[in-house]
Amino acid sequence: MWAEAASWSPLRARTSCWTVGCTWALTTTIPGLGASGSDPWSGDSGHGGGGRRQRRFPDFSYITRNGRLTDFLDCVIISHFHLDHCGALPYFSEMVGYDGPIYMTHPTQAICPILLEDYRKIAVDKKGEANFFTSQMIKDCMKKVVAVRLHQTVQVDDELEIKAYYAGHVLGAAMFQIKVGSESVVYTGDYNMTPDRHLGAAWIDKCRPNLLITESTYATTIRDSKRCRERDFLKKVHETVERGGKVLIPVFALGRAQELCILLETFWERMNLKAPIYFSTGLTEKANHYYKLFITWTNQKIRKTFVQRNMFEFKHIKAFDRAFADNPGPMVVFATPGMLHAGQSLQIFRKWAGNEKNMVIMPGYCVQGTVGHKILSGQRKLEMEGRQVLEVKMQVEYMSFSAHADAKGIMQLVGQAEPESVLLVHGEAKKMEFLKQKIEQEFRVNCYMPANGETVTLPTSPSIPVGISLGLLKREMAQGLLPDTRKPRLLHGTLIVKDSSFRLVSSEQALKELGLAEHQLRFTCRVQLHDSRKEQETATRVYSHLKSILKDHCVQHLPDGSVTVESILVQAAAHSEDPGTKVLLVSWTYQDEELGSYLTALLKKGLPQAPS
Amino acid sequence: MDPECSRLLPALCSVLADPRQPVADDTCLEKLLDWFKTISEAGSSLLLLQENPCLVELLFQVLRPQDLSARVLSFSLRLAGIFAAQEDCFQYLEGELLPGLFGEAGPVGQAAWTAPTVRSGWIQGLRSLAQHPSALHFLADCGALDTVFSLQGDSSLFVASAAGQLLAHILGLSMRGPAEGLPSLQAPDWPACAQKIVGHLEESLRSTAPPQVTQALNVLTTTFGHCHSPWTRVLWERLSPLVACLLEEDPLPAAHSLVDLLLSVARSPVLSSDCGLWETLAQTLRHLSPTQAGPLALGILKLQDCPQALRAQAFGVLLQPLACVLKAADQAPGPPGLLEGITGDSVTVDTLLSSKSACAGLLCRTLAHLELLQPLPQRPSPWPQAPLLGAAVTILQFCNGSAAPASNVGGRLCALLAGCVRVQRAALDFLGTLSQETGPQELVTQVFSVLLEHLRSPDSSATVLKKAFQATLRWLLSSPKTPGCCDLDPHTQLFLRELLPVLQKRLCSPCWEVRDSGLEFLTQVTRHWGGQAGFRHVLLTSEVPELAEQLLRDPESYVRASAVTAMGQLSSQGLHATTASPEHPGGQQKSLLVELLRILSEDSEGFPRRAVMQVFTQWLRDGHADVTEDTERFVARVLQAASRDLDWEVRAQGLELALVFLAQTLGQPGSHCPYAVAPPQATLHSPPAQALQALCRVRLFEFAFRALFDCDRPVAQKSCDLLLFLRARTVPHSGPQEAGGSPDVVSVEAALQRWRAGEQGPPLGDLEPETVLAVLRSMDLEGLRGALAESSDHVEESPQSLLQDVLAAVGVLGENQADCY
Repeated sequence: MWAEAASWSPLRARTSCWTVGCTWALTTTIPGLGASGSDPWSGDSGHGGGGRRQRRFPDFSYITRNGRLTDFLDCVIISHFHLDHCGALPYFSEMVGYDGPIYMTHPTQAICPILLEDYRKIAVDKKGEANFFTSQMIKDCMKKVVAVRLHQTVQVDDELEIKAYYAGHVLGAAMFQIKVGSESVVYTGDYNMTPDRHLGAAWIDKCRPNLLITESTYATTIRDSKRCRERDFLKKVHETVERGGKVLIPVFALGRAQELCILLETFWERMNLKAPIYFSTGLTEKANHYYKLFITWTNQKIRKTFVQRNMFEFKHIKAFDRAFADNPGPMVVFATPGMLHAGQSLQIFRKWAGNEKNMVIMPGYCVQGTVGHKILSGQRKLEMEGRQVLEVKMQVEYMSFSAHADAKGIMQLVGQAEPESVLLVHGEAKKMEFLKQKIEQEFRVNCYMPANGETVTLPTSPSIPVGISLGLLKREMAQGLLPDTRKPRLLHGTLIVKDSSFRLVSSEQALKELGLAEHQLRFTCRVQLHDSRKEQETATRVYSHLKSILKDHCVQHLPDGSVTVESILVQAAAHSEDPGTKVLLVSWTYQDEELGSYLTALLKKGLPQAPS
Repeated sequence: MDPECSRLLPALCSVLADPRQPVADDTCLEKLLDWFKTISEAGSSLLLLQENPCLVELLFQVLRPQDLSARVLSFSLRLAGIFAAQEDCFQYLEGELLPGLFGEAGPVGQAAWTAPTVRSGWIQGLRSLAQHPSALHFLADCGALDTVFSLQGDSSLFVASAAGQLLAHILGLSMRGPAEGLPSLQAPDWPACAQKIVGHLEESLRSTAPPQVTQALNVLTTTFGHCHSPWTRVLWERLSPLVACLLEEDPLPAAHSLVDLLLSVARSPVLSSDCGLWETLAQTLRHLSPTQAGPLALGILKLQDCPQALRAQAFGVLLQPLACVLKAADQAPGPPGLLEGITGDSVTVDTLLSSKSACAGLLCRTLAHLELLQPLPQRPSPWPQAPLLGAAVTILQFCNGSAAPASNVGGRLCALLAGCVRVQRAALDFLGTLSQETGPQELVTQVFSVLLEHLRSPDSSATVLKKAFQATLRWLLSSPKTPGCCDLDPHTQLFLRELLPVLQKRLCSPCWEVRDSGLEFLTQVTRHWGGQAGFRHVLLTSEVPELAEQLLRDPESYVRASAVTAMGQLSSQGLHATTASPEHPGGQQKSLLVELLRILSEDSEGFPRRAVMQVFTQWLRDGHADVTEDTERFVARVLQAASRDLDWEVRAQGLELALVFLAQTLGQPGSHCPYAVAPPQATLHSPPAQALQALCRVRLFEFAFRALFDCDRPVAQKSCDLLLFLRARTVPHSGPQEAGGSPDVVSVEAALQRWRAGEQGPPLGDLEPETVLAVLRSMDLEGLRGALAESSDHVEESPQSLLQDVLAAVGVLGENQADCY
């Protein structure tokens, strides 16, 4: 299971994604970080070792053993409110001690604390957990949140920026582009490429990131139309109600509950049904309130209808009271929590389980150790407390309403974003392998599927912007060549790197700006000649020889006896040991490197025979 | 193992060993391992395997060439390790099985090895079995150590980390026993495993590849951190020259790991007397960059016995960035003897000025280190309080642009730090910590002034404001009292006069975080100073109490909850707005009670309702005037509202309030803890009948009886404790069987039955004390308390349930598991 908190270390130009989510209170293994439960090295991070309960949250000591988290992470990004993406956030920020910014969208910011509070209450209620985060910690954590709008570029610091895109999956879900300089990564979180009853489809622009990290829950599946599943669901509910049975739908307060409510509300209206529909908890009022508040995040249909009627103002769905469960006659009850592991949903289930007319519809996954898991795996005699046995005669149905992109959707997103490479997460290895091949074939990009905790190193070719001084540009223009985008041009200048910015200027300007004096670099060479004449005569011979050959160059014989050709200086000297040999000292600047080399080669061949 | 589990085990093993039957849920395998670990820790693993041969068969299945899933293979490796942790069981499995699993013929080198989960299982299996000498021989013989060496560089973070830990563990284990004393430096005297590991570490330390150096340093850090036997001294003597060689390299390889190692060595009681070590630490401090040196400096300062010179050097490293800031601000480095000699070296200045993030990073780290150091008894003395205060204030001034330094460096720092929220937060935290000690009045005035600037500034972000409020509170609470007077000193008084209008403004902030932080500040400051005349005067002349009251209707539930707490506190201390009209003296006070009751019964959110219950409980405890006016009516109304609440924490808080009332009504001599159920002393007086009548009148019994069968366990537990306390105090004094079998008792017991079954039923109506006592006597409250002590999912979480679930889920949950959300 995955969640996110992306850290970008611009100086080292690498990204690392850490998970801040957690598994459910009951799914205690293979969290985002540290499935082993043992601490790396220090063994004193305070939550290592021990049994599963100690391993409820990821082991963040893998990020830093002794240092402060805030020094190692620039920011935390939460893609959406599901607890496998944000469940450990208060633990991370208030108990482990991360004190930096946390980014999420406005709806996520509003809904996250409700679910965290719900999670806390269940953990404390069920297990009597003492060492769990408190309400105050949830609040303090939420105070660190910076809410972001879609497509708004948020500058985290002077190097790192992030941008949110619509992800569809649940209200407020976002994909994030994380950018440093010209390099970027897109992390999708969970997303859905087909619009559903209350949300639109995920969308991203052609941002061409270096890496797209995408979920791959349905890596190989092409899912059947959601309409079919909805029809099936309504049919089952309707049939049960018609025969006088009661329908229990265990849900978590937010997300799927709203989708199913809209579905039933519309159906009840259309069919003019009278059986009551109840929602079991006070949380829903607030949930529905948020769906109303963030209407712009829902799909077009809901937004359009909103003018005449708010879809979330339910006519048929009423608040549930515990006493209603004993009422005779048909009814539909949405009750929390969704896995039948505690609270009201479990209480109602116990009451209704013995009647074959009733039905329980599980609209999502249930983890081992919950009643939901047991009945979904076909167990019909459940042992309860005190050796009591509960016989489940009611019908048990499973309906998948999860809103993830299927294989087609994932390919579509890769096509939209045009990344340089793709990294698959949040999926099963075998299925991911298939998708990886498909992506590599179709898009001709590298695709990775690292295991949890595995490091992937990606080569990138960053383009570094360099500012060019006006003086240098003017000089180039003076040479009469107009800039042409199709033809790259070589430009000589001095590169100044200062305060992380790059500028190309003329060397004169560089010297002036940096307060440096100019030094001249000359190449020198010694050429030996067999000549028994005096040095001055040899120099004259050299002069005449060069003058005759280098007609296009300015060859001079200076009064001190030396000969110059442009910047090249030739002097003749006597050999210290052999009077029949003269030494020619040739020196030139790097600008005349070509001429200097040519001249040296020429002199090495010797001088023409002078008339005696 | 209980018989039912034994019965299910063969089926489980055959499911696991069958590659055609994928196990649906990874978590199940983890839970199974936890269960086996618990069983083998509690008894003989050998016996377990002999009684359940299917387990050995399962492990043998792994050896057969077949397409077993990576997760089952990993599970089997770990399971074998758990069993082999006991030497007799190890010998039982040693022949074919263990070499087949962990030796060269095992998964190492096979296709399955590419799965990180298999490598992880292999390492964890070895980690479990490496507990006894036989295991050491096995490790030396089967070639496992070389594999562990290579796994240190594994691409999986978890495998690499576990490999390092395993090496440290094996090294420690092999040096135990005969080699426990002081082995010589020479390798031949060391056990084979240890020789091999130390040789590998030496080689790694000499390596030019930084990852290898890091791996070796990490293994040593774990070793010196966990093992304090004399042999570690010899190990350090042998390896320290190699570590010293690392210090000569530029740049320093694996600086973080090196710091960890040196601190681990310095903390070891066996090694800390080594003089060479102090020199190495001093040398490392000089070599490291300012950013890297901070953690080492802090670590050194935390050591108990450390040479003074080294401490001074370390403290200098921590102070350097702040000294640079002070210098840049053109401030004198402080009175002599404080930051003396530390004027900021050029490397630190370069780091600070190199970029915005480097500057913020270094300052934040430095401030955090000093914040950790400040409260420690071993912190340097004298503590340079005044310059540190000056530095914190200056940094905050750089951040908010109120400083105007003349120097170039100052100007540059100002530009880098302007509006830097990260540094502001760190500096405010540090400033708050410095409130533990005072400073020169002039500086304290500057502190208050910079805090006020931050609280006032429209540019301050919500997180900065929260920290500013917290720092202000700490400084306010630590401000000195005027001698001979219990009131606030004039400076504080003056500051408060300026602060209250700012608080007033912040309570009206459009940002809920700011309103909430403001209310939290108000609550805290009132709790401490509610009795001070100066504070009362300033508060009451401001509009803060009225604004806080208005926030009881804030759209944000967190703010409403904080407003409830703040108003409760204000009211407790008579600071609630006294603008009552002359016709209705105390009218406003009444209205707060009514308003809180309204919130309790109407607010759609749990936080405000919970806050109300806490305030009410406190009011009852303190004998708040509004409560004592008619305590019974108050309690009855609150319990009635709480009993209907959907939030179990409100209901639990209702029981807390009931308990306070109970203790007040029955009297609570001698016993401080109301839950302490002890046979009443002979000296205790029987509770007067009126007291029990009062409990009946407020319908406390009905509330408690209903709560006893609450679907939320903490409520039921609390109620059970309350009733046990009540019974201990009342029943022995009541006459024998006064009301047993009476119609009232029968109807109450029938109601209890209904509630136990989860039905609602009508209210009990008025009860007589005798009826209640009879019911209490007949209840098995102790049994209930025992049942409630177990978690509510203990049946579902039992091993038997786990085995049933794994078996039932085979082939069923394939589709479902992908639909997590």
